[in-house]
Amino acid sequence: MIPRTAPAGPAEALAAALTAEYAAIWAYGVIGVRLAEAARTAARAAEAAHRSRRDALILQLSSGGGQVPADRAGYALPYPVTDRASALKLAVEVEERTAGFWRAALPHTTGTDRNRALAALTDCALRATRWRRTAGVTPLTVPFPGRPV
Amino acid sequence: MLRAGALVVVGGAAVPLTGCDLFDRGDDKPPPPDPLEPLAAEAAELAARHRAAIAADPALADPLTPIADAHQAHADELRRVIGRPLPSGASSGTPSGDADPADPLPGLREAERAGRDNAAKACATAPAERAALLGSIAAARATHLEVLK
Repeated sequence: MIPRTAPAGPAEALAAALTAEYAAIWAYGVIGVRLAEAARTAARAAEAAHRSRRDALILQLSSGGGQVPADRAGYALPYPVTDRASALKLAVEVEERTAGFWRAALPHTTGTDRNRALAALTDCALRATRWRRTAGVTPLTVPFPGRPV
Repeated sequence: MLRAGALVVVGGAAVPLTGCDLFDRGDDKPPPPDPLEPLAAEAAELAARHRAAIAADPALADPLTPIADAHQAHADELRRVIGRPLPSGASSGTPSGDADPADPLPGLREAERAGRDNAAKACATAPAERAALLGSIAAARATHLEVLK
């Protein structure tokens, strides 16, 4: 699920991160309805965070005159999300996957853009850790967040 | 004839000097330290601090062992990227400062916070080929802080 081919340049790397953010936002729609109370609130907050990354990326890519990939109408789920356990599993995977795209953007960016990509990678890794804690999955962390396995 | 003889002597003296430059690397100045050396040392020290905390209180083994292992993996990977053995006289991960045996967590939190900031700083200015690794290390340290909360 983590990008297997390295992006060719900064615009490609950020466009790929944008497609990952689209997919994450879509996934949280599926995830949120299977969760209750604090977990549902956390899913809403996570979705809002991905929306704000998406908006920033669209602005950045369009002001740079580059191609802005469009969102898709829907995405294929890796497995059916039918209950709390499968929703939390998907939430962890979505965050790890999105972290991978932001990590792949790091070598292609410098200065403010790189710091922004690192902040996004870190936020994804933190949410993955919190979702593991909610799901009761251990260990709570991975040694190299976003690194292809 | 005298001038020619003097030339021969000078020439004879020049040959061993050239040989010295070519083969006696011991006379060369050591290369400047890699900018990642402090980060590699910090990773080894963080691994050692977590291990010391586990040794003092085995109840901490569950949460801290994966974190200690991650720091060790970071240290190994940084060492590989630096491409040189540990500088002579460098600490191989002895904890510096005495951790409070009653509650090591505040000290570990502070060390993870400082470590996260150091890795983020290193990522911001790193050449492209090192940016992804440093980004993963910064993100991992942020997740450690989340676990220690």
